[in-house]
Amino acid sequence: MAAISARTFRPSAGQRRVAAKLLGALLSLAFVLVFNFFLFRVLPGDPAKNLTRNRLVPAEQVQVLRESFGLGKPLHEQFATYVKDTLSGDLGISYKFRRPVSEVIGERIWPTVLLLGLSTLLSTAIGLWIGIRGAWKRNSVFDRVSLGASLTLYAMPEFWLGIILLIAFGVGVGSFPGLFPTGGLSSPNTQLASMGGIVDVARHLFLPCLTLTLAYIAEYALVMRSSLLDELGEDYLTTARAKGLRDALVLRRHAVPNALLPTTTLIFLNLGFVVSGAITIETVYSWPGLGLLSYEALRTPDYPLLQGVFLLFSAAVIIANLLADLLYAYLDPRVRTG
Amino acid sequence: MGVLAALLALTAAPGVTAQEQPAGKLTFTVGIVNDVDSLNPFIGILAETYEVWALMYDYLVGYSQKDFSPVPQLAESWEVSDDELTWTYKIRQGVKWSDGQPLTAKDAAYTFNRIMKGTFEQTNYGNYVGNIEKVTAPDDATLVMTTKEPSPTMLRLAVPILPEHIWKDIDEKEVSTFDNEKNAVGSGPFKLEERSTGQFVRLSANKSYWGGAPKIDEVVYRVFNNADAQLQALKKGEIDFADQLDPAPFNSIKDTPGIATVPGKYSGFNELAFNTGAALDTGEPIGDGHPALKDKRLRQAIAHAIDKQALVDKVLGGYGSAATGIIPALYANLTYQPADGEAFNFDLAEANRLLDEAGYKDSNGDKVREMPDGGRPLRFRLFARQESNTSQQSVQFMQGWLRDIGIATEVKVVEENRLTEIIGQGEFDMFEWGWVVEPDPDYQLSTFTCGSRSYKSGGDVLANLSDSFYCNPEYDKLYEQQKVTIDPAKRAEIVKQMQKMLYDDAPYVVTFYYDDPQAYRSDRFTGFQPQPDPDGVVLFQYGTYSYRNISTPQATAAADDGGGGVPIVPIAVGVAVVGAAGVLIALRRRATRDERE
Repeated sequence: MAAISARTFRPSAGQRRVAAKLLGALLSLAFVLVFNFFLFRVLPGDPAKNLTRNRLVPAEQVQVLRESFGLGKPLHEQFATYVKDTLSGDLGISYKFRRPVSEVIGERIWPTVLLLGLSTLLSTAIGLWIGIRGAWKRNSVFDRVSLGASLTLYAMPEFWLGIILLIAFGVGVGSFPGLFPTGGLSSPNTQLASMGGIVDVARHLFLPCLTLTLAYIAEYALVMRSSLLDELGEDYLTTARAKGLRDALVLRRHAVPNALLPTTTLIFLNLGFVVSGAITIETVYSWPGLGLLSYEALRTPDYPLLQGVFLLFSAAVIIANLLADLLYAYLDPRVRTG
Repeated sequence: MGVLAALLALTAAPGVTAQEQPAGKLTFTVGIVNDVDSLNPFIGILAETYEVWALMYDYLVGYSQKDFSPVPQLAESWEVSDDELTWTYKIRQGVKWSDGQPLTAKDAAYTFNRIMKGTFEQTNYGNYVGNIEKVTAPDDATLVMTTKEPSPTMLRLAVPILPEHIWKDIDEKEVSTFDNEKNAVGSGPFKLEERSTGQFVRLSANKSYWGGAPKIDEVVYRVFNNADAQLQALKKGEIDFADQLDPAPFNSIKDTPGIATVPGKYSGFNELAFNTGAALDTGEPIGDGHPALKDKRLRQAIAHAIDKQALVDKVLGGYGSAATGIIPALYANLTYQPADGEAFNFDLAEANRLLDEAGYKDSNGDKVREMPDGGRPLRFRLFARQESNTSQQSVQFMQGWLRDIGIATEVKVVEENRLTEIIGQGEFDMFEWGWVVEPDPDYQLSTFTCGSRSYKSGGDVLANLSDSFYCNPEYDKLYEQQKVTIDPAKRAEIVKQMQKMLYDDAPYVVTFYYDDPQAYRSDRFTGFQPQPDPDGVVLFQYGTYSYRNISTPQATAAADDGGGGVPIVPIAVGVAVVGAAGVLIALRRRATRDERE
């Protein structure tokens, strides 16, 4: 039986397409793996020297440190060790923190995913709603106000918007009190896994999340609005109306699903960046995330940490792209047959 | 609308007021802009980390609050043998580790022996034990150390004493990755409670500390990723202390009620350094420094062309003082002041005269002088650091003054990492940077010895401590001499003599000693103790004086209950009601519309 089914197995066009996409993603990942190693070694600075700068460390000791990093060995040997370790899941020990890279990243990843994930979700939801409503009632007061407002927010530098919100709602202006903390993820002395802990994190999360949501809304609103406007002129909508469907149903069942396609691509593109964080906002709100960690790692330069972080960033983007490709085929039959 | 109301209601949650702490606990919160790197005393390197260790651990000998002179800490007293080679420390009895075990001389002996026998352990402390031959604890109250040479640094051993019963189980390999965060055992005035990477470190008071119980209950170091947010948090009262403030923000909070500002004298200096002839420790020349800078007369002329006071006023906003020697003025016993008539005062005419006299003339009329043989013009690369506004502003001024004496400079702004490499290879002419100087001058003095120049290892040239490549056998002789002089007064004389040598030979023009502008909530805490007394910094000192002494100000203790008196709860309730009403109206409108269709 097995032999027969193997002989008769013909991969369909769809399966071939999926396989090709998977292969492409794997190749990209492999390229990143190799590229990362050489990229960071071009950075100026000797990690051992930088870690011991302006301190009472004798030269011999710096040499010992350098060798303990494996930096004394020829580059090709370092590379071989790197590839072997990475493939077996060992990202190495951070030079700066002196702890396993996976542990350091593990600590920082969830604040980033929480902040970026939530703000992506909120901005998508609000952005789509504004885009749909704006397009449907084009040139209405709502359309003009929301379009203007989201474009204005889009044009503001994120960090600037962040600082304004921080001062207004974190510190307080005049007799208006600062309602939210000026930074961080949680307060000392709180159990994170309790009701109080959740409220505490929510309070810390509010301002950075608000800033990012406001900054991202325009992107979704604009794309959604224009793709829906494109659909509105289509014949099938006239048909739908002619069938006697209510306006709300024409919009919900016919126009929006088709107009969602470009937005889906955008959402998945952005999902890929959820792990890499928003370095400016993490800076403004002292958010202990991955964006800032990668910046700190660059300053040493902490090769193992940089490699780990960038591998993660790249993997996230590659996977999100892969998902977008596969989902797109499902959502839009034209891609499947074409 | 409903969501918004719920989020706003969050602000009415308990703890919305400035100080978030359980009732009755007095927490002192310090803002820091660099996170503590590692709480393992063999790993961490940042100033913030050293501050935390000082709270967690004790040292043998401390630094006095008044003038940094040695004061008893774990060692109650000490004496040195007549041959000046054997030091006997009497260890304080009755001190307990935070887990209840007694602290004895054996713990101290263990700590030093571990460093002396270790390899990784040497990274942070190797320099202190290099001269020590043997450390023993004949009984619980006595620690004996034998040195190879007489050594004045035996009262300056900045090594935290660790509990043997904990660290003996952490072997040589594990110690290089041990985080020391959970159940860390120390003997200091505070005990580590909690650490959240990138966020905060929390310590609780050791109420049975041998030096007296701290009057506060907790110290929290809170990490800020930018100084602006830190300042805002201080204004709001979320934190009680901030330091390293820039002049503008520092001035802006000077008159804020409830905040006190301290432009504390600090132990750092900045300098304009010259490539005095880059070479390896063996004497083999390296790099491509301009040959004219090997000439002491040229460097002295440049020293006359740097207006140090102008740099203090314009770059530091007045928070600093014009410098002379490489030991900052706050170390009053060691700092060097040139005698009248020997100082290189700011005088462009004098600088021009000296250059003319030395034969550096502008022979082709391009306003740039040439070497005495009429060849290479005095055109120097001048490096500044990208990370530092101070550095970049300073070189702008320097470039202008040098232009006035016929010296052209090409300013290059590079990252500190990159500059370290450039300097190590000798591929520069001048640069602007600085040092932070410890109470013991040995390390700083060592950066000018011939042996501190770059060295070769496996074909690569690697940087060492020297960044001017100064090499003077006379100086090296004095360096060796101060290293074995135990009498403080005699040693100070040698140290001053060495600084005079450096001043005259001018491998550096030391520009200024900078302050550390600090600010704290004076409405919440009082009793800060400056080191040195009275102009020094009140935190980030050599010691824990302020932490152990601060308390709530008497007058305002009852009145200060946080809260700010703004009715947040009513506001939030109001918003919630309006929000709920909005949702209701929206729902109703939708319902009627559906019915109409």
